[in-house]
Amino acid sequence: MTYTDPAVVSTIQNAIRAEQNYVYACGIAGAELKGGGRRRAVAQIAERQQRIQALAALISEADVPTTPPAFSPPIAIDSARSARASLAQLNNALVGVYADMAASTEGVDRAFAVAGAQSSARTAVQWGAPSQAFPTGD
Amino acid sequence: MLPPTRRAVLVGGFAAGATLIVGCSSSSEQPEAIEVEPTAPPQPDPNLLDELALIGAYLGAVEAFPELRGTLATIADQHRAHARELGATETELAAITPIPPSAANVRPAVTELIKRERSAADMRAESAAGAENGESVRALTFIAASEASHVPELRDVRRALKDDS
Repeated sequence: MTYTDPAVVSTIQNAIRAEQNYVYACGIAGAELKGGGRRRAVAQIAERQQRIQALAALISEADVPTTPPAFSPPIAIDSARSARASLAQLNNALVGVYADMAASTEGVDRAFAVAGAQSSARTAVQWGAPSQAFPTGD
Repeated sequence: MLPPTRRAVLVGGFAAGATLIVGCSSSSEQPEAIEVEPTAPPQPDPNLLDELALIGAYLGAVEAFPELRGTLATIADQHRAHARELGATETELAAITPIPPSAANVRPAVTELIKRERSAADMRAESAAGAENGESVRALTFIAASEASHVPELRDVRRALKDDS
C-alpha cells in the first residue's frame, strides 16, 4: 500500500529519518566500540537499512527523505561508553516514532510499526539502558 | 514524542438490547412490551487483567527470592504504570496478591518471568494491531515495547545468577 495522506506520510518519514540517523550513529559508534559491541553496531547498520527500505516502500518515491550527509546524536559519541549510551537513547526515541506510525496506519503496516517499537526498546536495553514503562529518548 | 499521558485504553460496558415487560396504569389493559437497552456490566480488559497478574508474579518472585528485589521491583513498578494506563485504580493495585513462582529455584523462576513477559509483549502487540483508536494504539505500542525490553533485562538477571541456583 502506498500512503498519500500527509499526516500518515509524515509519521513514516519521521521513522525513515530516525532510522537514517541511527544508521549514521552506528557508523560513528563502530569506530569507538570493540569486539561484540562493534559487531552488533555493524550488524544493525544492515538491519536498519532493511527497515528503511521497508518503510520507503510505503510512500511514494518523491516523499522518501534523502539520507542526510551527517547527523549529530543528542549524546555525542567520543568513547565506547558514550557510543552505547547514544545508541540506547536513539533506540528509545524510536519507540515513540514507531508508536506514532502505528497509530496512523493499519493492518500489516501497523504491525510492522509495533514490531519496530518493540525491537527498538529491546535494543536500547541491549545497549545498556534500563527498561522504561514508556520508553522515550529523554 | 510523548508517551501516553492518560488512561487511553479503557474497555467500557456494552449495551445489549432487551425487551422488558412493564406495567400499565389500568388493570383492564394488558402489560406493554417496550424495547430498552440496559447496560451490561463492564467487561474486564484482558490486557489489564494480564498486567495485574504480571505484577502478582513479580511480587511472588520477590517474596520467594528476595535477592532479586532490585531489578524485579523496578520492572513491577513499570507494570503498575502500564496497569494505570489501562485503567487500574490504586485500590486494585493495592489488592494484588503475590503469585508464587512454580519453580523452586531462582534461575527457573526468572525463566518463568521471561516467558510471561514475552507472552505479554505479544498480547499487547496483537491488541495494538486491533485497537480502534489512535490513542489506544499508541498506548498499547508503548506498553508492548516496554514489555519486550524486559526480556533482555531479565536475561541479564538470569545470566548473573550462579548456574546451580
